[in-house]
Amino acid sequence: MSGSNNKLKDKQADGIGARLPRKEDIPILRGEGHYFSDIAVERQLHVMFLRSVHSHARILSIDTSAASQMPGVVAVVTGAMLQDEILALPQASTSAGLPGRLPTFWPLAVDKVKFHGEPVAAVVAETPYLAEDALEGITVEYEPLPYVGDMEAALEPSSPLVHEDWKDNEIFRSNYQALRTADEHAAHIKEARRRIAEAPFVVKQRFRTHRCGVTALEPRGALAVWDNRDGLTIWMTTQRPHAQRACFADVLQLPLSKVRVITPRNQGGGFGMKASVYREPLLVAHLARCLRRPVRWLETREENLMSAGQERDQIHDLELAADAEGNLVALADRIVADAGDACLGGSWAFPIANVGGLRLPNAYEIPFCDIELRVAVTNKAALCGARGLGIYPGRFALERAIDMLSWKIGMEPAEFRRKNFITTFPARLSTGLGYSNGDFLKTFDRLIETVDIAAFRERQKEAWSQGRFLGLGIAVGAEVSGVDSLSYVSMMGTPSYASVEVRVDPEGHVQIFYGDGPSGQGEETTIAQVVAEELGIDSENVSIIVGDTQTSTFAPGTVASRGAAMVLPSVAMACRSLKKKIVRVLAHDVAIAADEDDFIFADGYVMHRGNSNIRLSFAELAFRIVMKPINLPPGDSGGLDERATFESTRGNICFGAHAAFLEVWPETGRVKIERYVTSDDAGVVVNPLIVEGQIQGGVVQGISNFFFEEYVYDNQGQQMTSTLEAYKIATAADVPRIEMYHDAGTPNPTNPLGTRGIGEGCIAPVPGALGNAISDALRPLGIEITDLPVRPPTLFRQIDASRQRKQQAS
Amino acid sequence: MKAEVSITINGIAYSRTIPIRMLLVDFIRYEAGLTGTHVGCTFEGVCGACTVHLDGDAIKACLMLAVQADGRSVTTVEGLAKGNELHPLQVAFNQHHALQCGFCTSGMLMSSLDLIEKNPELSEETVRHGLVGNICRCAGYANIVDAILDVAQERGS
Ligand code: FES
Ligand code: FES
Repeated sequence: MSGSNNKLKDKQADGIGARLPRKEDIPILRGEGHYFSDIAVERQLHVMFLRSVHSHARILSIDTSAASQMPGVVAVVTGAMLQDEILALPQASTSAGLPGRLPTFWPLAVDKVKFHGEPVAAVVAETPYLAEDALEGITVEYEPLPYVGDMEAALEPSSPLVHEDWKDNEIFRSNYQALRTADEHAAHIKEARRRIAEAPFVVKQRFRTHRCGVTALEPRGALAVWDNRDGLTIWMTTQRPHAQRACFADVLQLPLSKVRVITPRNQGGGFGMKASVYREPLLVAHLARCLRRPVRWLETREENLMSAGQERDQIHDLELAADAEGNLVALADRIVADAGDACLGGSWAFPIANVGGLRLPNAYEIPFCDIELRVAVTNKAALCGARGLGIYPGRFALERAIDMLSWKIGMEPAEFRRKNFITTFPARLSTGLGYSNGDFLKTFDRLIETVDIAAFRERQKEAWSQGRFLGLGIAVGAEVSGVDSLSYVSMMGTPSYASVEVRVDPEGHVQIFYGDGPSGQGEETTIAQVVAEELGIDSENVSIIVGDTQTSTFAPGTVASRGAAMVLPSVAMACRSLKKKIVRVLAHDVAIAADEDDFIFADGYVMHRGNSNIRLSFAELAFRIVMKPINLPPGDSGGLDERATFESTRGNICFGAHAAFLEVWPETGRVKIERYVTSDDAGVVVNPLIVEGQIQGGVVQGISNFFFEEYVYDNQGQQMTSTLEAYKIATAADVPRIEMYHDAGTPNPTNPLGTRGIGEGCIAPVPGALGNAISDALRPLGIEITDLPVRPPTLFRQIDASRQRKQQAS
Repeated sequence: MKAEVSITINGIAYSRTIPIRMLLVDFIRYEAGLTGTHVGCTFEGVCGACTVHLDGDAIKACLMLAVQADGRSVTTVEGLAKGNELHPLQVAFNQHHALQCGFCTSGMLMSSLDLIEKNPELSEETVRHGLVGNICRCAGYANIVDAILDVAQERGS
């Protein structure tokens, strides 16, 4: 670079790769965050819901007369009243792409209740305290019906029906035929079966995972305002404002243009729990329109734990086979999933379970698979997305089976995995799922480097001889990293591209507009870093306007690890177009021929690489183009803004490998994690601080799910875990520090930044790693972890029983 | 039933006539308009998002009635910074990426301040145990622990 001003660096210090503390933190740390519950408008009314005390019952009558007379009460509504006023779900906006059955439901139960906690009536009052008082004035007469709670029994022809207009309780079934014709598929299955029957090494095992999820610390809420000209404005907690908007429009029969959904600037976590269309906000919007007053609903924790965010309960009858050399040859699995009542707009429960089967073969070359999924409706809250959407159970089952099979063959499980990883890309699983690129071995070997298996085996042997039980468990996950529209339309019924608008003001400040609803992912910082990198300006000079359907075009929502994998690339694309224009104008002004490669954008300046006299500040150029749009190059007009849409290619993934070291105390069944290590292929890392934060948090959630959390329904379908006392979430004292490596990453060639999204998938290997580690520790006792959650009393009983068996045998 | 109370929050006295059943956390959020204190559970005292200081001790504002705080002095997260100058804990939380969604953060800050002020010696172990009354769903705790230890060490030296 001859004659260059050496003050300009090629690399922006706060650009891509910088460990930049987050821009969004300071207001939050000062207590000046802006969460849903911080929003209030004049004259707002408050809604409280009366919820079903039964899991399954016919509603004989509801008497609201006493409640209506109580102080401060403005309205009392029931399901029967709503039927003529709004439409039920499903509607076109919230249908699923997959061919499953969609149950019909209103925001309040009509005729019968289908789970303990279903909203039955609602009170609108001047204060939340008065609304709550008035709930006591409502009398509901129920006729209890038999509880359908066991997912396998629910699929029996003799089972009582959850949805009485259906002929049975099966909401969805899939055999993952992929693109095979029926005949080809029959032959494929036959071959899978033959291979399993003839293989020298086979594991056949039932695995069971429990109902748990990732409920966010901030519960849900909605505040709706009706205006005759503008229609509805709704502030609400949601990851998917545009999907919500479409659903409000359908149910209330309004044009889209009369519905505006706004997510608060800060949201207290989402993790999938805030991604679906729930009953309550629909009612809030309807009431605001009817009553011509703002109506607000702030969910209680109890309501949240009873009705939102429950995932993961599945049964897998899995068979995995390998040949004499230790190559996987076939996989079979009969999966049953519990959808609850499935009344959840936009997800309908079964597409979540479907993902688990589709992604089941994970990172392995398994040529033949016979996987069948059946999803049952039951009298529980609807199955709802939770981080690691649909895959937590399947990863547990398969990763456990891999370990069991390795030991059968007599191979170290890590070696067995290495031998069976997919190594050529693009790859296609037998379920039809494609992987576009990655390098599993490289990322895996980075993990293996840090864990020194041989040294551990020595330690383990020594410990066993002293009656101590140390274990090492490894598990991997090839997880979603943004989804392309083709896949998303066919699965969820909506597109999945990322579309952003970048505006530069005359002072050179950059604003980014987009329509997802983030909840703590650090997007304000990472987007600013990408802009800083591309335009060479300070990240301080970048702000984002997000989550408002009025200021953004369609966006699918903050789901499936889209942020780094799709939103950031679209920001880069828009910036690159802007650069072209800036360079055109600058070159035109100084009358030289040049393209953008001749210029460097750094430190707030745009400078010619070959002639440092041609150097203008970014702000000057912005002013020139926005406010003095005269004598522009032919074809250009004033203004400096750009919209870019990024469409993902199919099959983008983010691979992670985890290792857990732990000790099991046989006297108590207590498990202590000694060390937990991850190696992740996060592609090009925009901000290591944020990537590590995602992994640290995701793994801890996985650990919390594995040992502590469980939504418990008793044998009458009473939900027993509606407080955080009962639904135990891991605290700081319960979990280890996660040791993380992401330096074996492979840039993702399918987007302009090389990024991958890590948020969704980093939880997935956790149950396999922990289950494998505990089983490894207990190998001398022959105990295999097959059921979740793992709790000290159950583990103790297993250990005790095994010891007694051993004693009797000897 | 109503009662008159005067509660000092971050040095300012708020005198109000309130229903006696009003929770302290609602007084702070809706009467004083200080929304930095959050509510993450149904007044069962588990999540810790509502943690504030009452006469110098960390308490859960959802477990107390406002009338019980009559005549007493409350410090909330808004009272931590002195004007533009952030409290060292606030700086450390930012530097260590100790928050993601930030919903637990006010409570975490108030609990950790209590920890630091009352314990001359803090280790990873004691900090982790000192935080069992505060749930963070996002961050996995390690960065929160680091931020607190950082400030504790700074103070000790
Ligand atoms: S709101 Fe007070 S502890 Fe959760
Ligand atoms: S940062 Fe979200 S709960 Fe702690």
